[in-house]
Amino acid sequence: MTLIVRSESPTPARSTVWLEGRLDANTFTDLDEALSDITPMVDNGGTLVLDLSQLDYISSAGLRSLAQLRKKMNDRGGRTLLLNPQPQVKKVFDIVKAVPVKEVFASINELDQYLDHIQRTVTGQH
Amino acid sequence: MRLCIPNRLEDVFTALEHAETTLGRADIDDACRADVRLVLEELLVNTVRHGYPDGRHGTIEIKLEACTDVVRLELRDDAQPFNPLEHDPPDLPGDLADREVGGLGLHLARSIASDFEYARDAHGNRVVIRFDPTLSDEPSP
Repeated sequence: MTLIVRSESPTPARSTVWLEGRLDANTFTDLDEALSDITPMVDNGGTLVLDLSQLDYISSAGLRSLAQLRKKMNDRGGRTLLLNPQPQVKKVFDIVKAVPVKEVFASINELDQYLDHIQRTVTGQH
Repeated sequence: MRLCIPNRLEDVFTALEHAETTLGRADIDDACRADVRLVLEELLVNTVRHGYPDGRHGTIEIKLEACTDVVRLELRDDAQPFNPLEHDPPDLPGDLADREVGGLGLHLARSIASDFEYARDAHGNRVVIRFDPTLSDEPSP
């Protein structure tokens, strides 16, 4: 089993990328390539969601790819949010304290609520 | 399982598949299987990438024994001396996007193994790692 990367037709404000399989020293270049096509389509200040519910495994090589992605998005004022990491992936994130906890969501509902909240804060509604 | 592989990345991944099969036959649960795979990947990739800076051919020997109460992994190589226990853990606080990501693999490997030994003898480096399959669900501190 290797890595499968899927994405919906990205909108400039918010795009989702689904990862399936293993993100390791053998497959991280597949992710890097796929993302180099996708990230430019997200607006400055936009949100990229990585859906990790089908990702079984990550190693340090995969963490490096995610770190670069986050840096790229940060540099453009954007966000990288992670959805539903599975036990092995969550454990690895915890050990290296890879991602601010507030940017990891257990469900799409939680994620939507967070984005709604951000939206309201930005537009000044309460 | 006992396996000797050349120091090439593609052979590392062949070895990982063999390890999966061995652990599967021994009925080791998914969490512990993933732990062993991770430690094995991190250490082997590290050896292949940094162990032979002169570009020579090398050999890495992998022994894996799996029982219900312990999984024992032994790695020997003829790479340059490298003690994975001697290196300081990386600086962890803060956003991963803002820090140097070197050393993460070794840190992961050491955090996940329940017991980690290193020795250097006339043949080269030798690392022995034990995993406790009953603890794999608990996140390491």
